[in-house]
Amino acid sequence: MAELILQALYSGLLNGGVYALMAIGLALSFGTMRVINLAHGELVLLAAYMAYVVESRLDLSPLAAIPLAMAVACAGSALVYLLVARIRKNRELNSLMLSFAIGIIITNAVLLIWSGDIHSTGSVSLQEAVQLGSLYSMRSELYGFLASLVLVTLLWQWLAKSWYGRAVRAVSSQRDAAKLMGINPAKTELISFLVAGLLAGCAGVALYSSSVIQPSLGHALTVKAFIITVLAGVGSVPGVLAASVLLGITEALTVTLWSSAVQELAGMLLFLLVLFVLPNGLFGAARRRA
Amino acid sequence: MLELANVTVQFGGLSAVKDVSLRMGSDEMVGLVGPNGAGKTTLFNVISGLVKPIHGRVLFDGVDVMHEPDYKRARLGLGRTFQIPQPMHELTVRENLVVAQRFGAGRVDAARIDEILELLQLTEQAGRDAATGLALQELKRLEVAKALATEPKLLLLDEVLAGLETQGKRLFMEKLREVHARYRIGILIIEHDIETISSLCPRVVVLDFGQIIADGTPQQVFNDPAVIRSYTGVEHA
Repeated sequence: MAELILQALYSGLLNGGVYALMAIGLALSFGTMRVINLAHGELVLLAAYMAYVVESRLDLSPLAAIPLAMAVACAGSALVYLLVARIRKNRELNSLMLSFAIGIIITNAVLLIWSGDIHSTGSVSLQEAVQLGSLYSMRSELYGFLASLVLVTLLWQWLAKSWYGRAVRAVSSQRDAAKLMGINPAKTELISFLVAGLLAGCAGVALYSSSVIQPSLGHALTVKAFIITVLAGVGSVPGVLAASVLLGITEALTVTLWSSAVQELAGMLLFLLVLFVLPNGLFGAARRRA
Repeated sequence: MLELANVTVQFGGLSAVKDVSLRMGSDEMVGLVGPNGAGKTTLFNVISGLVKPIHGRVLFDGVDVMHEPDYKRARLGLGRTFQIPQPMHELTVRENLVVAQRFGAGRVDAARIDEILELLQLTEQAGRDAATGLALQELKRLEVAKALATEPKLLLLDEVLAGLETQGKRLFMEKLREVHARYRIGILIIEHDIETISSLCPRVVVLDFGQIIADGTPQQVFNDPAVIRSYTGVEHA
């Protein structure tokens, strides 16, 4: 039993890495513009289909699709931003409807082009088992987790050290004050959506490489990313990583100890429990005082 | 340097600012006073570009800035503080200033940042998280420091002295005098306390119900029957 639990913890940790890639883009765009991009999961899905296309049509590794997946998700994210930015009244509510509609359009476009079939990678190399002591994972899961660690660290450094990273943080925390410091909010928001798109592209390739994809998956991915964003506490990069791992481990333990049928329910219960105890999320304490 | 011509702002059926015209020189220190709801902060919002008037013009340094967005006005030299301090979360005090300087003034000058920190007695707090590590008085000084870091030609100070106790207020006034003298910039300051504004500003403008009802030296203004009536609600004897 102890071995099973240890394996579940390990699998949950690796899954959490991919969840972090999915969620951090949503958290970034939400933090900057106070807009929840409900099409974010569909952008991840679109990127995953790019990996499928590159593998099935060009006979290349799904990893070769990373540039294409990033470009497609970036373009989609920029389109969402440009449409949302045109909303003048009641932006927070109207953007929900707009991005939800974009998500439906993407889902149906995917369905039309690639049918409703389930797809997964045929790469033997990516599906190969990798042993770490007594723990096992697919090579793709390990790659996804390591890529997530690298990208999240790079994002963290970009936010901390670069001028536009700091501008993103400034607009995210005090929009009016940031404007009066000379920061162009529209440019900053577009940059944050583009970065979100880049991360969604990577998340899509990681998803296709380690799991199965189908057109209706996008909405579930958005919900998962949203849960993680709220669990983390808005605006916290390490919080997103921690919340992703926590969610991944909770789901893996639920599957091991109970049933895969209640895996999503466990995530929701965790979400409610954390918000009940820490209403500002796991890493939202600093904002509470400010 | 600053010229407002017939500025009118309407929120629904309410006229927040009515036909206000005002001129201010490049190194003047002017107090803007008036009862609550007189339109003082709205006027600041018009000057800084956060609110668009339905009528009138704003000229800054001889240039019509009506069509310039708020962030470009900041780059042109309009510095602004808020009534409730708005520090950047998860940025240190120094980072707040550096970001303001980089985007507002278009350059990074560490010596100038050090000078501003020292002038506003924030050197010791420079490494602290701006949103969680400062007391109210320090937050108020940070507001001014951030605005100064953008290297403004005109500083709009919205009730920076409010909420401070007497000694703190006195020290802050000294700092503002020092800022004015050292950087030779115009300062337009909103303040409720008549005594404070009288000792700080050689010129005072009074707004009431969105209109300027007096403009002159503190002595002239606070002996004006219209001003007394607006503050006390009774006719001057």
